[in-house]
Amino acid sequence: MLSIENLSVLIHRADRQVAALTDVTFAVRPGEVVGLVGESGGGKSMVARAVVGLLPTGAQATGQVRFGDADVLRMDPAALAAHRGRGAAICFQNPRGALSPTRTVGRQLSDRLVTHQEMSPRRAREAARELFEAVGIRSPQRRLDAYPHELSGGMAQRVMISLATGCAPGLLIADEPTTGLDVTLTREILRQFRHAADVDGRSVLLISHDLASIAEICDRVVVLYAGTVVEAGPAGQIFAEPAHPYTRALLRSVPDVGGRPVVATPGAMPLLQRAPRHCPFAARCAHADDTCTTRRPPATPMAGRRTDEWSLACFHPQSGPVAPAVEPAERSTASPTPAPVAGDAAVPGPAVLEIDDVHVVYRSRFGSGGHHALRGVSLRLAPGETLGVVGESGCGKSTLAKLIMGLVAPTSGTVSVAGQSLVRQPGRPTPRGRALRRLRTRAQFVFQDPIGSLSPRRRVGDSIAEPLRAAGLSAAQRQARVAAVLDRMELDRSILRRYPHELSGGQAQRVGIARALVGEPDLIVFDEPTSALDVTVQAQILAVIADVTADTDRASVFISHDLATVRGFADRVAVLYLGRVVEEGPVDVVFDSPRHPYTRALLASAARLGGEPTSGAAAVELVRELEEGDAATGCALAARCPFVTDTCRSQPQHLQPYGASRAACWRIPELDALIGKQAATP
Amino acid sequence: MADLRAAGATGATARVTRSRDDRFARLLIITGAAILAVVAMAALAAPLLSSWGATEIDPAATLAAPGGAHPLGTDTNGMDVWSRVLYAARLDLGIAVAAVALAVLVGTLLGLVAGYLGGWLDDVLMRVVDIFQAFPTFILALAVAALLGNGTVNLIITIAAVNAPAYARLVRAEVRTQRELPFVDAAVTSGASTVGVLWRHLLPNSLTPVRVIAPLNCGWAMLTLAGLSFLGLGVSIPEAEWGAMISLGAADVVGGRWWTSVPPGLALFVSVLGFSLLGEGLQERANAKRR
Repeated sequence: MLSIENLSVLIHRADRQVAALTDVTFAVRPGEVVGLVGESGGGKSMVARAVVGLLPTGAQATGQVRFGDADVLRMDPAALAAHRGRGAAICFQNPRGALSPTRTVGRQLSDRLVTHQEMSPRRAREAARELFEAVGIRSPQRRLDAYPHELSGGMAQRVMISLATGCAPGLLIADEPTTGLDVTLTREILRQFRHAADVDGRSVLLISHDLASIAEICDRVVVLYAGTVVEAGPAGQIFAEPAHPYTRALLRSVPDVGGRPVVATPGAMPLLQRAPRHCPFAARCAHADDTCTTRRPPATPMAGRRTDEWSLACFHPQSGPVAPAVEPAERSTASPTPAPVAGDAAVPGPAVLEIDDVHVVYRSRFGSGGHHALRGVSLRLAPGETLGVVGESGCGKSTLAKLIMGLVAPTSGTVSVAGQSLVRQPGRPTPRGRALRRLRTRAQFVFQDPIGSLSPRRRVGDSIAEPLRAAGLSAAQRQARVAAVLDRMELDRSILRRYPHELSGGQAQRVGIARALVGEPDLIVFDEPTSALDVTVQAQILAVIADVTADTDRASVFISHDLATVRGFADRVAVLYLGRVVEEGPVDVVFDSPRHPYTRALLASAARLGGEPTSGAAAVELVRELEEGDAATGCALAARCPFVTDTCRSQPQHLQPYGASRAACWRIPELDALIGKQAATP
Repeated sequence: MADLRAAGATGATARVTRSRDDRFARLLIITGAAILAVVAMAALAAPLLSSWGATEIDPAATLAAPGGAHPLGTDTNGMDVWSRVLYAARLDLGIAVAAVALAVLVGTLLGLVAGYLGGWLDDVLMRVVDIFQAFPTFILALAVAALLGNGTVNLIITIAAVNAPAYARLVRAEVRTQRELPFVDAAVTSGASTVGVLWRHLLPNSLTPVRVIAPLNCGWAMLTLAGLSFLGLGVSIPEAEWGAMISLGAADVVGGRWWTSVPPGLALFVSVLGFSLLGEGLQERANAKRR
């Protein structure tokens, strides 16, 4: 179907040139799902662009991209147009950005069918409805008349898939189709691609930075590093026992829910000016020797394999599993916090953070109504403690973060940081002026977008020292403190004079953490601090954060959509669903014996090295995607829970103690039996 | 995949034209700056370039044709046109630049405060801006000029008042987008005061459009000044100002004595062109960067 041979792409820019791809060779056979894996800058998207003939101007491509009988690189415009319509189709990473905002999605799909399939408009609308149904869009008839902004992210990605498959292309290319989607959705969307290959016999090229999440549905994977193919072979085996040191580093960098520690690989991917003459990974590789730095390893088959089966470009292939899972017992001994006794709200001792029955409602500016972001959340944090907050997008994570930082005022309930209030709350004194500014610096924030959280036209040094200004320190004192945190973040002094856009993502996030640390706050809130970073950089930053949260004089809140990152260093974890805490307890207890159906579902859908079932507790699969209007009175999960009863729908659920943790579900005692029964009757 | 193809095509052309746009922008900027530099030098070097003073009367020559002691002739009052055109550049450039600077200062300040604080203050400020902007520029200038009376300082205030609302809107819009960005939250949670957030974080990041518009605006300001003077509300004879000179010489054109009004008109044209080219060039460059 698709066969790429020795594809090299050099991009000539006014000021420099970039060797985007070097001798890339691989094939996608009919009905096969091939994963293209690597970090950003590795050349994944460039391969996709080459396949549909969309190389950027200034790009000089050599080699062949054979599709059927033709070479895409040598097609004339007419042949390219036909190739893009019927030959190969792309699903983009940001589905909502790729859909035209002013036309209904049904119209966008049927227009395409009219153009490429020469259908009548009536027939096209009918076909569009069928396509929507095929990708699992509920009530497709109604969705046809929806505009992109009315769709959720998962729904928009499904529409995108239906757009791409609509003209029955032989090859479907998906560029990071699930980035930004929740774990439970990721699985469903990825299954759509498997479905396209199995049922319709299409070839699928699935591009992703996350090997673990796509390994399950791919037949084969191709790993790219700095524009070269470092390893290509059967997905299951590469995932289990990768041979190339980079593939191994990639897998080791991703935390998993089993609690396996992350191993960070130092350095970052180089941006090559010309085709590499030696192994591009040599500088970061623990096994590199003189051969690696003088010659580029050619793609050679693994022992006993054919080249098209499992090949790798390395002089020192490794073997064996990447890292054995860690026994839970090994970790829990290290946890310094005593498990909070359930139901005992008045734990003695001062709390760094106290949130009591907080509701936050965002009122819409026009008319009545509004968005109920938090519904009765209570949390308490002692000094030195690290709380992980986990939930899918829209669960109120960010609102909780803003609430703690005093950027959002509670509609009802109370919040206090170090015993004081950061925002105006009814019946409580609020510090003002300099006192408020000093108090604000007691709680610091590490943002999701590391570069965007630094003022674009101020030097890094200014940004780091910002919290010290409120404290009224002299310039010399500020300098000394900044120097101290720079050392701790392993940043060079020269970075102080740079501007944010000159930093890499990893450097910028170190700067962000340095700014949070510099004022020696009582509390640091990390809001998805690694989700915008590349996998190996993510691991480096997680190591830094683990070090910071281990400080005993400071409490931390770590907010993430990813369960696995939280497991690494949180003492306690709270699972948030639609503005409510549905489960809360010591991290190992929640991960190893989850109680609430939602927690179980989250853990079940999290990808895991080795692919064994996630935890001892039987897995729950949620029924369907949430639609607007759900979750009004009863249990938050009622609309998606497979074990829902009328009681669930009518009675709000509150946290109840179950063992060492607390969960908000009255059916928990009978849940294991229910899951067993469900599994027995498929 | 019609959308895809279209996206690919525009992407490609954008990249091809980027460097060309860049070169074009640079050409505009250099040309505009060169013209302005020549005008400014001429204004400063007026005493060296002409032996006559700006308001010096040659009693022997009234409405003398160009040539001899007066390279561009003399006007009805017997003043040398060439030296008046040169000296007028000082006043015209000076007032225009000062007025725009004042407009930028006041407009930016109002826009910053209105955009960041919002609420009733924003409503009140923006309604005032609405009222200012509802008047045709020239009518407003006439009204303010009539109210304040003549004089250089009053002229600067008049022209600034006409232009400041546009800056207030521009900066307010920019601040409203910027204040939603994480770096503002970062500054607030780092204990920065409101003034600190405005001054150290929002101001430097909101000035990009102002930098582009201000030079263009200087050109418009010059035209406004010349127009006011032409109507007798700006600088009045005997002081040297291009608009006033054109006004004075307008009557002579009928009699074939073009030299009293055409040279100041040309000077005005060239200076405004200089500002326009500079402004356009900056705009082009900003656009090229944004793509």
